Amino acid sequence: MKRVAIVGIGHGKFGVRSDASLRELTFEAVKACLDDAGVSLKEVDSMVTGIAGDEFSLALQPSAQVHDYIGFYPKPNFRVEGACATGSMALRTGWMNVASGLADLVLVVGVEKMTEVPTSVATEIMGRGGDSMWEYPFGTTFPGYYAMMANAHMAEYGTTEEQMAMVAVKNHYYGHLNPFAHMQKEVTLEKALTSFTVAHPLKLFDCSLITDGAAAVLLASEERAKTISTKPVWIAGLGLATDTMRITERESLTSIAASREAARIAYQMAGVGPADIDVATVHDCFTIAEIVAYEDLGFCEKGEGGKLIEAKETYVDGRTPVNVDGGLKSKGHPLGATGVSMAIEITKQLRGEAGQRQVKDAEIGLTHNVGGTGQVAAVHIFRRE
Amino acid sequence: MEFKDFSLAFSQTKVGRFAKDLAEGRIMMTVCRGCGKKYYPPRADCSHCMGSEMEWKPIKGEGSLVTFTKIYVPPEHFALRQPLMPFSTVQFEPCPIGILEVEEGLRIMGWMPKMEIQKIRVGMKLKASPQILPDGKVTIVLEAM
Ligand SMILES: [Zn+2]
Repeated sequence: MKRVAIVGIGHGKFGVRSDASLRELTFEAVKACLDDAGVSLKEVDSMVTGIAGDEFSLALQPSAQVHDYIGFYPKPNFRVEGACATGSMALRTGWMNVASGLADLVLVVGVEKMTEVPTSVATEIMGRGGDSMWEYPFGTTFPGYYAMMANAHMAEYGTTEEQMAMVAVKNHYYGHLNPFAHMQKEVTLEKALTSFTVAHPLKLFDCSLITDGAAAVLLASEERAKTISTKPVWIAGLGLATDTMRITERESLTSIAASREAARIAYQMAGVGPADIDVATVHDCFTIAEIVAYEDLGFCEKGEGGKLIEAKETYVDGRTPVNVDGGLKSKGHPLGATGVSMAIEITKQLRGEAGQRQVKDAEIGLTHNVGGTGQVAAVHIFRRE
Repeated sequence: MEFKDFSLAFSQTKVGRFAKDLAEGRIMMTVCRGCGKKYYPPRADCSHCMGSEMEWKPIKGEGSLVTFTKIYVPPEHFALRQPLMPFSTVQFEPCPIGILEVEEGLRIMGWMPKMEIQKIRVGMKLKASPQILPDGKVTIVLEAM
């Protein structure tokens, strides 16, 4: 297998982008990515596009729209889908293309246009990310699923609503320092705790945002990487794992088994452990999800996730800084773009280009991206050298 | 009684009798004749031994609550197209839902229309029962025994 590096990154502005269509959002990110790498699109061999929902984009093959708009024909384009983990699946697919020797330079694009449909429709589309045949008849929504995990975690480990709100406070703090974030606004603990209930016990500020956005990275083989970038970031480990469709059949409701398995594989492949991770982006679609991720990724013991945020150990100067780009919570969660955006943040951190949010001397970074209610999870580990 | 009267969206499946059984007062599982594995929700095929010979059996719905929530921001389908939302006639009225473990590994999702969210606790003993709604649809409720 060939070594693969990220040699270019491009992040569009996340938010309610009523000014731009799916294809136009993509163009912004692709242009920024190619500029960052100093490469022209003509040099790129193939493209992977991560878009989660046909329903959001009102199209059967939305990836063809974006491929056409950047003018990449007649070269190949693969569309990848894995609900909220779509972006990481796209990155993994791009990696496979380069690692196999099939291509030397691959563009990985993640994009989602979620606000063209009304919020209630978006809520319904997301809710159908659970089992639309057996769970949807009970009015399940995405917040509903994670609320059930939160209640189970609170009952088993004594995790509190305050601890969950502390995740929101942290992620909004860093989001307000990230110019690409959807909501560049700080939030107080009190405001988070008194916001309206979306699905008991999760309140508005426990939930990530419905966001439009695009992100792109350029992957290169070792030979090409050396000619393109002075600061390549290497993909050192990849783990992908899956679990049951229905949460009623999960072994545990206080943990995401697919995350644990994906992490195990990625750590093994990279030859590192949780203590070696200098900075991480984890799947905080809800605040409880970040707490569970701390535990599943081994940043703390099982059941101690609430205490980890309470001790501020996941701030920039803490033991394991997590989501110091604002996370899904404040940066926003345009499904297909999220995993790619996570890889961009880690690339910036390992290049030392994260500005006020920079983790000192970060050498090893991790991304963790969960699809649906945990049907799939991807963990990637990146290294500076 | 079509499967869609339970699922709201789908009618074409090999386990469509599940809705009819609910209407007749039974929550059914399937049990694989080849390896004995029990399935709830019922399945026509066994992913454990790849067999497709299934036996239908009623579930005794008594068990303990694994988790719960109450969704205040509903999906569009439930919010707008009345009277599809169970336990509500004109306006959307949030109703708690929960997951009940009735025996090792078998868990049933259901509505909890008679329970106040603040009084619901993980571990509570409850019973899952079928319920026919005023519009003729069928669903499952979790109630005190
Ligand atoms: Zn079997």
